[in-house]
Amino acid sequence: MSPPLTIGSFPRAILHIDGDAFFASCEQSRRPALQGRPVVTGKERGIAASMSYEAKARGVTRGMRLAEIRKVCPEAVILPSDYETYSLLSKRFFAIVRRFTPDVEEYSIDECFADLTGLRRPLRMSYPQIAARIKKALDNELGFTFSVGLAPNKVVAKIASKWQKPSGLTAIPGRELHRYLAELPVQHVWGIGPQTTALLKKHGVATALQFAQKPEVWVQHYFSKPFYEIWQELNGASVFELTTGEHEVYASIQKVRTFTPASRERDFVLAQLAKNIENACMKARAYKLAAQRVVIFLRTQQFQDAGLEVELSSPTQFPHDILRAVTPAFEGLFVPSTLYRATGVTLLKLTEAYYGQLDLFGEAIRMQRLSNLYHSVDTLREKYGKHTVFLGASFLAHTHAQHDGERGHLPERQRQLLPGETARKRIGIPMFMGEVT
Amino acid sequence: MPTHRELMAITGFSSTHAVTTLVARLFDAAFLETDAMGQPLPGRFFAGLAVLGTVSAGFPSPAEEELADTMSLDEYLIANREATYLLKVKGDSMIEAGILPGDLLLVERGAEARDGDIVIAQVDREWTMKYLRRRGTKVFLEAANKAYKPIHPQEELTIAAVVRALIRRYA
Repeated sequence: MSPPLTIGSFPRAILHIDGDAFFASCEQSRRPALQGRPVVTGKERGIAASMSYEAKARGVTRGMRLAEIRKVCPEAVILPSDYETYSLLSKRFFAIVRRFTPDVEEYSIDECFADLTGLRRPLRMSYPQIAARIKKALDNELGFTFSVGLAPNKVVAKIASKWQKPSGLTAIPGRELHRYLAELPVQHVWGIGPQTTALLKKHGVATALQFAQKPEVWVQHYFSKPFYEIWQELNGASVFELTTGEHEVYASIQKVRTFTPASRERDFVLAQLAKNIENACMKARAYKLAAQRVVIFLRTQQFQDAGLEVELSSPTQFPHDILRAVTPAFEGLFVPSTLYRATGVTLLKLTEAYYGQLDLFGEAIRMQRLSNLYHSVDTLREKYGKHTVFLGASFLAHTHAQHDGERGHLPERQRQLLPGETARKRIGIPMFMGEVT
Repeated sequence: MPTHRELMAITGFSSTHAVTTLVARLFDAAFLETDAMGQPLPGRFFAGLAVLGTVSAGFPSPAEEELADTMSLDEYLIANREATYLLKVKGDSMIEAGILPGDLLLVERGAEARDGDIVIAQVDREWTMKYLRRRGTKVFLEAANKAYKPIHPQEELTIAAVVRALIRRYA
């Protein structure tokens, strides 16, 4: 039996919380007819985006095509994604955790980290008790389960939340750490990929504990800094800080949309890309960000991706500028008579939007005009909903249904509009679905 | 207010005459005033100022000040934001409680349900809306419609939410 790696139980108390089968659970929790049944979301994309535990048990995996899902699990209920509802519930998830601590990192739509350090005395509870209280509030108020891991740092908290799933609550105090790591294959550690696993295997390292017990100089000699930091956290130290705040700063903004049927029409595919650019810029403007680098990509029916990166002369948040800059790249990527199924755009090198200091050749005036124009566009959107006005270039993407048999792929909530709601704007409160007797 | 001697100590002046001159100037500059008995009082420059927020020009509107503590309709209807959901009524089982098909309800998930609350329960894989009745250790659901019989659950009763508000638009 190996000795403890550290003897401090919780020098810091970090939680990792993970929504169990988040999208599928959002669906099951609002509609009792789906509870206990295999539920898969992602119908509109043609692949499984999320599966309930019942569907996982029958062999459905993420990314599986619909035809295959129907083969392995004929009784599966396959639903179109309702991202609006999932996002509303995701915001609630983080808001509930923030009742207990302001230090919350929104890691993804269905995961967060929270720092509980120092809360034992004000809340008069032990760390595991606080963790249990947070889990209970989440399970009760959102109507589905969450898995919670409590540990002295982020890397170990991530191990703890995965230890027992679904609906687990695992606390790994520093002095118990070695027992957990001894059972954990090293590739299951957050941040250790196949390359690193292969290298570790060459040195006879198979478990997380074997890695943690390697001498510091050995780790520094063979591995780069991120892996050295993982090693430190596996030894109980806390190195990775939480990135708190309600996702106010984005490193990048990405918009990807699939459309069915697949298309070989140049104008239609470009219109889809233009619509993604408009959406990405909309988000950039909402956060007062401007992008200086843009990546566009096209996905063929055969799931082959091709992308190109474009550097802009100055940062912008307006689709006018970006579309003009990326159109030559699009022409380079687009292969005639190939069927395309999705387009996407990523805005990178984001900086705070500021148009005070531009060149002397009328650029500042042009930017001011665009800024006024998009201010009006955004005001119209706030009043009448998304895409009330849009670029002529994206016209075809707005007039054609995004997917075949659009109604069948439209989430039920969007087919059940309340009086006064429109296809573009609905009440921001999730709805219970199904018959009420 | 400090006495002249105390002011001497504070200012470090060596005569009361210097203090008297200073006090006279403070009166002139309206930092000091006299009360009804002729005693000195702190003037208007020492009084607390009400901060009414910043305005770009002109005096603050009295309306702004009065409206600072009003509630939105959301706040009036919703106590726990994260636990509140919408539900559209489809049946007529609560019609005598004034809840009609097509009405919109705000329900609070995970809230403690008390006797007499209108609750959303889960029965046979469906939502059902009824009065919750507690009689001793027995718990059952009762409709507000004579056409429906009370539901006495055989196993554990799953109560998903408690009805908090009803919204009905007439247009």
